[in-house]
Amino acid sequence: MKKVKRIIPKKIGLDAWSKQFQDFPDETIKKYRYYNNNEWGVYLSPPATFMVYGLRELKRLKFDNSFESLRMWGFVFNETERLFRARQINKKIIATMGDLGIVPILVLSFPDCVPFYPECLWWTPFFKESTELLDTASKLGTPEATCFSRVVVSAFHKRSYFPKPDLIIASTGASCDDYSCVMQVVEDMGYEIMWVEIPYRKNPEFMLIKPKIQELEKTEQGFSYPKVIEEYLVKEYHRIWERLFKLTGVNNPHRLVETIKKVNRLRSLVAEIKTLNARAEVAPLPGLEMMTIEFGNLYGYADFDEWLDIIQMIHALVKNRVEKGVGVLKKDAIPIAWITPSADPYLLNLVEEIGCRIVETEYVINQAMVKIEEDIEPIRALARSFINGSLIGSPAERVKNIKERIAKKEIRGVLITNMLGASHCAMETRIMERLLSDVPVLSLDVPAPFGITQQIKTRLEAFVETIR
Amino acid sequence: MELNQTESQKLPTDLIGYTCSYIPVELLSATGLRPYRLLHGALGLSQKGEQLVRVDACPLVKSNLGFILENQKNFACIIGSTGCDMSRRFLEVIRLMTVIPVYIFNNPRTQNFDIYSNEIDLMVKELEQFFHRRFDRGLIQRECERWEKVRSILRQVDARRRANPSTLSTKTFHNLVSHYYQGDIEKIKIDLPDEMSYKPRVYLIGSPISYEAEPIIELLEKRLRICGDFNCGLSRGIYINLQEKTIDGLKKAYYYQPACIFKRPNKSYYEWIQREITETKSTGVIVYVLDYCDNFDFEVFKMEKRINLPILKLKSDFSFQNMSQLKVRIDAFIEVLGSLRAGIV
Amino acid sequence: MKDILTPRERFGMLVIDEKPDRCPVIPLITSHAATIAGIKLKRYYTRGEKMARAQIIAFEIYQHDAISIFSEVGIIAEAMGSEFAYPDNDLPILKNPILQNSSLDRLTIPDPKKNGRLPVYLEAIEYAYKAIGDIIPILAYVPAPFTTGMHLVSPEKFLVDTLKNPDWIIDMLNIVFEATVKFCYEIINAGALPIIVDPLASGSVISPTIYKEFALPYEQRLIHYLHRYDFDVILHICGDTTAIMDKFPDTGADLISVDRVNMLKAMEKLASKMRLIGNFDTTTILFSNPDDIYALTGKMVEQLKYAHKGYIAATGCEVPIRAPKENVQAFIKGAKEKGWYWA
Repeated sequence: MKKVKRIIPKKIGLDAWSKQFQDFPDETIKKYRYYNNNEWGVYLSPPATFMVYGLRELKRLKFDNSFESLRMWGFVFNETERLFRARQINKKIIATMGDLGIVPILVLSFPDCVPFYPECLWWTPFFKESTELLDTASKLGTPEATCFSRVVVSAFHKRSYFPKPDLIIASTGASCDDYSCVMQVVEDMGYEIMWVEIPYRKNPEFMLIKPKIQELEKTEQGFSYPKVIEEYLVKEYHRIWERLFKLTGVNNPHRLVETIKKVNRLRSLVAEIKTLNARAEVAPLPGLEMMTIEFGNLYGYADFDEWLDIIQMIHALVKNRVEKGVGVLKKDAIPIAWITPSADPYLLNLVEEIGCRIVETEYVINQAMVKIEEDIEPIRALARSFINGSLIGSPAERVKNIKERIAKKEIRGVLITNMLGASHCAMETRIMERLLSDVPVLSLDVPAPFGITQQIKTRLEAFVETIR
Repeated sequence: MELNQTESQKLPTDLIGYTCSYIPVELLSATGLRPYRLLHGALGLSQKGEQLVRVDACPLVKSNLGFILENQKNFACIIGSTGCDMSRRFLEVIRLMTVIPVYIFNNPRTQNFDIYSNEIDLMVKELEQFFHRRFDRGLIQRECERWEKVRSILRQVDARRRANPSTLSTKTFHNLVSHYYQGDIEKIKIDLPDEMSYKPRVYLIGSPISYEAEPIIELLEKRLRICGDFNCGLSRGIYINLQEKTIDGLKKAYYYQPACIFKRPNKSYYEWIQREITETKSTGVIVYVLDYCDNFDFEVFKMEKRINLPILKLKSDFSFQNMSQLKVRIDAFIEVLGSLRAGIV
Repeated sequence: MKDILTPRERFGMLVIDEKPDRCPVIPLITSHAATIAGIKLKRYYTRGEKMARAQIIAFEIYQHDAISIFSEVGIIAEAMGSEFAYPDNDLPILKNPILQNSSLDRLTIPDPKKNGRLPVYLEAIEYAYKAIGDIIPILAYVPAPFTTGMHLVSPEKFLVDTLKNPDWIIDMLNIVFEATVKFCYEIINAGALPIIVDPLASGSVISPTIYKEFALPYEQRLIHYLHRYDFDVILHICGDTTAIMDKFPDTGADLISVDRVNMLKAMEKLASKMRLIGNFDTTTILFSNPDDIYALTGKMVEQLKYAHKGYIAATGCEVPIRAPKENVQAFIKGAKEKGWYWA
């Protein structure tokens, strides 16, 4: 690859990216390919490509101007194509729904199996600035005051966002009702589903008798739980393993050990990027890119190896920027925490535009952010990792880390984004506001696509004013 | 309907609250306390609950929260399950915002008797220790017999409601069964007035009917007869089929009761209500859906396809602002039922 | 059958070699949109907003699968300095080509945001993209350098010089290529997918040798430019292209739109390498009746819809400006009904 000239880090729009892209040599464009496929695997395209193919919000979004970030965006936006291509080369497509972070590790341990999360399509209406998928979901009977993940119903109906999965593993239980209902609708559409139980973590606070210490376990993030919860999950994961064995005819537990190592490599890189990003004097990466990186921990956007390579590259970029003391936001940007991801990526841009910097996040994917133990039986390690989950515990546990950082004066404000009618938002937000009341907390409902109005901007500005 | 202060003061102080049909009431009452199912649904209570949760939370949960905030001293503890998400989180809110001890019980959504059974064992252990009681065979048998006797009475009463012609209104049945859910079982009696009706027969399903739902039932029954239901606030709790008066028997009876709609998959819910609709000779179905109740709201579309009868969907946030609009909708529904009977539709 | 996908989703599936709910139906509705929308032709091609609105109205009426931002192929030449006449009720006509002799001094690369009517196109794209770009692809027709070249100098001189003064022609086409790329760049940033049209490279106008020497290389370069973006590129050449059909895969185009050729032959030769677009006779659209058009379209689609790499039901050339609405509707109805893939 011809060396792409280094540029001053900043956030740029689509036009500027297109200009930068003109300088890329052909060899660079051809070099990066998903599934190592030489026929159709290229993905290094500027935002304009995806904008032309309908992602209208890219016209107004601002992106990091590094080559590394461009590579990441090209890869992420290419996922639908990638899934169809996977099917064309006889890979098995496994829809893992609802658990956000663990089931794909099991899937990746079987040859030629590609896991993906249909619910990650919840960003699509916003990237498209289109209500079409939401409208289709309504026509198919889903209520409107629910999580945007309801677009999954439309996607299964349309069969044009991912191929018909070879297997659908749907996790439900102590999780949100919205998505559990979405998955039921999918089953009613004629798709066969393997249901998996997600138990409640059951912190001793929600027991009548404080258990003896020897009866309790502690997660990596410091959440206590009775040992039995682990057993429930272990059984469920064994059941998934058996099912995948039946599907592929392969049973090689050693591969799970290897996959965990690989996943840990990714998770530790991302953890380091997060730490560097939060602690650096100047933010080396924008919040939008950071969110995309965090969500990559779930399943590597349907090509885990390529994603790992991308993250290694980004890790080097972030390190380099931090060493040089350069970044994309102003030095005096206000450090805030963000709770629950925004379905509208534009909100992340907006928050930075008004002078904030996201230094801590709780994007309901805690379970995908922690390191998996490598010195115990691998399926048990997965279970123990999942028990860190955001949605299987109380709001107090969700904000624990943020609260600690507020106490250390590392966070000066908290933004909580909600979806109208989503079960966990409705029940948790007010409590979290109370628990974090040492700093200003702003709770926002993410409006429908293209719905961010002046009113929201004004509320954000007032939030910043209050902090200042 | 608002629970007034006098009623609130009358509330006993030995209550053990619970939130879900999968929690065996016998085990709760084995503590020596009175099991009180949290089924409140009044606008005032709901608004009180909004101090702690968002406005888009389930109105039943908000009302129960409001009720608990008003009556904290009356509850020794509250037992809840993970069944429906807001209901589980309701317990978390109570624990974090009041001094009431809570216990959250893993009620599997999927077919997983092992988890259920294990969780019952754990709950029993907790209750025994917390209330310093031993749940021996004798105690459990006595509790089973006591509750089974009441359920048997209620089933006999319900048979009159389900009969054709129906001789008991759901309004009366609701008043009676509320005593069961509030643990006030001494008040349950079998001799009730004859309320024979030839009005169109309808079956009621949906979100739980609350203790304060009388006005809406009354309005419906002015022109219809609700002759059966599958609803947590009405007859659902009385059809527990207890074969064996032990903890194991309770596990089986409660786990294998007609399945809640939140179970995954929820096929057996439909099989059950379809059978029930046929058995009760209902000519229409009322689906009562509380605002933001995903478990039912998501299903209405499927219900309309699967249940081959006219459906009246009632949305509610417990306010009675839309009563006149509701009357019009009920009238229209009756017309559809009438047309069907006349073979016009 | 009721559509399941939006036109954009349908097109998206086609370009990744998947069968959508039905084959896309994209009659080349360009200036015909003005007639349908009741907008004066001159306004259509001189005001971007009008062009977009006409296309949107046409889409609302016809429910076809892509809208076409286009009026005529002289647009880049005009921005480079050639003079055109603008009749009220007809398309622009070349009046004075910029190059009167063999000097290229007067030739400059235009700024698409300023020169000629290129801004009209860009405005139309922006407008349409904002209005309906989420559900339907916006195709912007870009004349290939060879076709533009023939509008920079008198067509006779151009053709003669391909033999007598080929270097001059090549120098000119290199400049035109730069201008075309610049235009494509802006089209993309505005939100449209450039589709390359090279009607004057048709076998009806030039020989296969001239095509190979003067048209093909620039088509290839342009397509290469668009491939850098990972676009699937459409190339449209009107008229009879039977003689150069073998060369089409060499252009690198992913989709080939053809006019007066035997489609079964085209399928035999090209379908394993390119997706096919075409080729309903536009004279029939103009003069025939809905019943016949419906039947003929259905027959055409049934024959072609299983083309190996995919197929788009289209007219061979632009839908005539004054084609009866009912005829176009009959074409679309026939194509949609017979183009269904999903069970």
